[in-house]
Amino acid sequence: MAERGSGRFLPGDPRVSEPYRLTPQLAFRVAILAFLTLSVFAVLFLRLWALQVLSGDTYLAQAKDNRVRTLDIEAPRGEILDRDGHVLVTNVAGTRVELWPADLPKKWPAERSELRALSDITGVTVKDMLASLEKSREDPLTPIVVERGIKQNQVFYLMEHEAQFPGVHLADSWLRKYPYQSLAAQVLGYVGAISPQEYKTLKKKGYLPTDQIGQSGVESAYDSYLRGHDGKAQLTVNSLGQPKGRESLESQPTPGDALKLTIDINLQRAAEKAITYGIHLAHASEEGSHADGGSIVAMNPNTGAILAMASNPTYEPSIFSGTHNAKKLQQLFNDPSAPLLNRAIGGTYPPGSTFKPVTALAAMMEPGPNGGHLLTPGEPLLCSPSFKAYGQTFNNWTNLIDQYMTLEQAIAESCDTFFYQVGERFYQLPPDRGHPLQAWANRFGLGEPTGLDIGGSVDGLMPTPEWRCKAFGGKPPYSGATCDTIDRTWKPGYSIQLAIGQGDLLVTPLQMTRFYAMIANGGKLVTPYVANDVEELGPNGSSAKVLRTFGAQSPQASGVDPGALQVVQAGLNDATHATYGTGYGVFGHFPIDIAGKTGSAEKVVSVPGYPNGLKLTQSWWCGYGPYEDPSIVVCAMIQNGGEGGSAAAPAALKVFEQYFKKNPTLVTQQASD
Amino acid sequence: MSIEAVNTRTRGLRGQSESGISGLGVLGRLDWVLAAALAAVALYGLYAINGITANDPGGSSLSRQALYVCVGGVGFLVALFIDPARYARLHRQIYLVTLGLLALVLVIGAASHGATRWINIGFFQFQPSEFGELLFVLSIAGVLSDRSRPVTSATATLRTIGYALVAIVLVFVQPDFGTALVYVAALAGALLVAGTRWLHLGLLLVVTVLGAVMILWLLPAAGLSVLKPYQTARLTGFTHPSNDPSGATYNLRQSIITVGAGGLRGRGVLGATQTALDYLPSHSTDFAFASLAEEHGFFGASILLLLYLLVVWRALKIVTVARDLYSAIVAGAIAFFFLFEVFINTAMTMGIAPITGIPLPFVSVGGSAIITDFIAMGVLQAIYIRRPVRRRR
Repeated sequence: MAERGSGRFLPGDPRVSEPYRLTPQLAFRVAILAFLTLSVFAVLFLRLWALQVLSGDTYLAQAKDNRVRTLDIEAPRGEILDRDGHVLVTNVAGTRVELWPADLPKKWPAERSELRALSDITGVTVKDMLASLEKSREDPLTPIVVERGIKQNQVFYLMEHEAQFPGVHLADSWLRKYPYQSLAAQVLGYVGAISPQEYKTLKKKGYLPTDQIGQSGVESAYDSYLRGHDGKAQLTVNSLGQPKGRESLESQPTPGDALKLTIDINLQRAAEKAITYGIHLAHASEEGSHADGGSIVAMNPNTGAILAMASNPTYEPSIFSGTHNAKKLQQLFNDPSAPLLNRAIGGTYPPGSTFKPVTALAAMMEPGPNGGHLLTPGEPLLCSPSFKAYGQTFNNWTNLIDQYMTLEQAIAESCDTFFYQVGERFYQLPPDRGHPLQAWANRFGLGEPTGLDIGGSVDGLMPTPEWRCKAFGGKPPYSGATCDTIDRTWKPGYSIQLAIGQGDLLVTPLQMTRFYAMIANGGKLVTPYVANDVEELGPNGSSAKVLRTFGAQSPQASGVDPGALQVVQAGLNDATHATYGTGYGVFGHFPIDIAGKTGSAEKVVSVPGYPNGLKLTQSWWCGYGPYEDPSIVVCAMIQNGGEGGSAAAPAALKVFEQYFKKNPTLVTQQASD
Repeated sequence: MSIEAVNTRTRGLRGQSESGISGLGVLGRLDWVLAAALAAVALYGLYAINGITANDPGGSSLSRQALYVCVGGVGFLVALFIDPARYARLHRQIYLVTLGLLALVLVIGAASHGATRWINIGFFQFQPSEFGELLFVLSIAGVLSDRSRPVTSATATLRTIGYALVAIVLVFVQPDFGTALVYVAALAGALLVAGTRWLHLGLLLVVTVLGAVMILWLLPAAGLSVLKPYQTARLTGFTHPSNDPSGATYNLRQSIITVGAGGLRGRGVLGATQTALDYLPSHSTDFAFASLAEEHGFFGASILLLLYLLVVWRALKIVTVARDLYSAIVAGAIAFFFLFEVFINTAMTMGIAPITGIPLPFVSVGGSAIITDFIAMGVLQAIYIRRPVRRRR
């Protein structure tokens, strides 16, 4: 207090301002604050009035609804049958464990000890449960599925100790069961919990965040038919979330519909065994010691119905149902040999000599530079041990042949040098003709979507100058090239290699199957499919009522000339019946006439121990039978299996043996390409 | 006592000297209206929280809350006897202590529900960001009332903002978005009372709005999220409550139902199913107002709001009678952040403000908040007690 007046007597200090007092400016500002305060409270009172007095009754009604929890009654998923009604996938009853976040203990130590106890029983880690809880923290009334298939003794334990597990709810569930274990695993696909992304797009269709959904193959493509409709029940709960009284049923679950496939279970089994057999043969052969998988497709060449689609290595889809073993699943997903991959539609390989019929048909169809066609059927060309062009030497697969031959014989003997010359003719066509070989290959379905009704297909790669420009343009050695002047970035060697199915070309086994079906059926491209119809099953699993038939789509004409086709057919028949044919040793003595082509395609494959990869041979055989009236087309591919004749062709023969119910026939060793 | 404590820097600040006031003098000069309002709010809060937590698994939180109120009352009394000039002198140290406490949470804080806001000291979970609100006000007011820099200059404004931002960011990254907003409100109150130019205030408002737009919409759209997804969902959820009734806006929807169901007279402690059956999460903390409104209805909620209005009103009055600029700024900032807390919390439970974790003053269960509120009120009273006595004019 003493210094209150002292300022009056001291000299003015520039840093010292006037004594503090309420300035009009501050008063004005406080007034603004006061006005703001009044407005804020006015808003609060108005809102409170609106909610409590004006709409009080509405909210009161909503509050009363809150005590009722809606429970989901899982519908059994539809069965998947083979073409004769054998059950490939069915269901077994299980018990799922759910966590209701709203009913868990509110105190963390209590919640933790409950989750720990639950973890001891189910084997699901507390960390995983917390992660799921964290995801749904804003929605405590939707349960989290901890586990779908706990064991019976665990069910009893949890039921007996219900009071110790508030917020834990047991519900009936259905688990996928696979009577034939790994059979057709990649075609059938598997079922798994819906992912947040899937839920986002599907919730409008009535999917729930706790749903299971087909994740691949048939399970995914036909999920809407297989899934059925869940039922609903209501449950009144007390303040601790414990049920008061019984569940009251609101709606019954509707089981999913059964799906009948075109797959023939016996042929499928034979195909899968045949791959293993092919790999086994390959290991014994000269070039196939790295054989590590493969694919076989068997199809009706007239309708596109897939009779068998095998892929190796494979897996057991039951690993995805019931008690999850996270470690095993992780191993499966990270397996470098990719057992989940359906190699028939998702694996791409150079087709090698199985591509030669494409070149042959294209050359016979394509007008030549001086009239006529690029190649006339009877025109003899020299099949020499090597072909020299543009300063490069291109070798035949054998140096034992040196003679003039026609196209027919060149197909049968798989003469590379013959087709090199055809490839050169394609290269020499004027640029305004485009890329007719690739264009024809596209028209035959190579490098194109097959239209298969299940997902997982890839298109492969049909190399063109445009593609080269896009893939390598701007980088050496094409740094100067633009896409307009690209034409010369395409080297003659590419066309010459492409003529025998080598180079950058990549196809899927199903694409090749479709192409050989086209040869077999007289020039029509079929649309492959695996689902025949959807059925509502009768009481004892007996087929009751077909709800919807998918069936075959009408094939499209490829525009290929029947005369040209006959030459190729004859060449393919010679390949398996003429003593000089590359498939004679395998198919020559088979009682049914089979026509088909071997292929041995080189591909750089990454192999452990070889940092730059290893050039390995992909073993192919594609063909059909009976020759006069084909009812089945088979394409076999043994990954890194060496020569076509030594691995893929004998494997394909096993499929024909099963299909035509013939006993194993004598197979003789013979060199092929 | 008055002379020796004055250092050269504050010598000229005549108003800020300390004045010795005896115990009885303190009581004699107290703002009795404010004191009565506080007592009423505190008792009403205890009464309400007893009802709100009556059906909780752990039983009523009354005794715990009463203990906090007692500790807060002691803090209130202690604050009466500390001359605000002392805070002014020590504002740098206070600032450093604030930052230190906030940084400490980040370092050793016990993780809880994805946020690190507490320091566990055995019997008590100490939440530094709550205490920090008051310390922040005391230190920022010191920065603003430094007369060697005219408060109307842009540098003074920027400097203050710079100091404030460090603390705000520390709270924000805990992450405690709601409390960070309270700091911003306190800063706004301080700037307004300190006399910062309207132009600067306007620019700050624009920058803040732009910043909010950036954080909520633009940056996430560009793939950079500052907030956690649940935070964004809560903040923007109130603009479309029916968008996802069982999803991100569950709390909000339940809260509105809870308030509305209360009606004019309330449903009583036993009839309040929203609270008793736990459909409304956090009903004893963030959503206490909704539960109070459910149990005691429009009448009961209005009593609380009127008491809050009275507190804010008296606080604004104290701004006008403050002895010096520092005290005025402190009073203004306290008034403004209190108003902000009341508004954001009650408005969020009624669906007209974003959901943030701001407690309802004197009601929400939680020691740090209650004790801080009491001490802040004590500081307000301390300012009032030391108001200049107007002699004849």
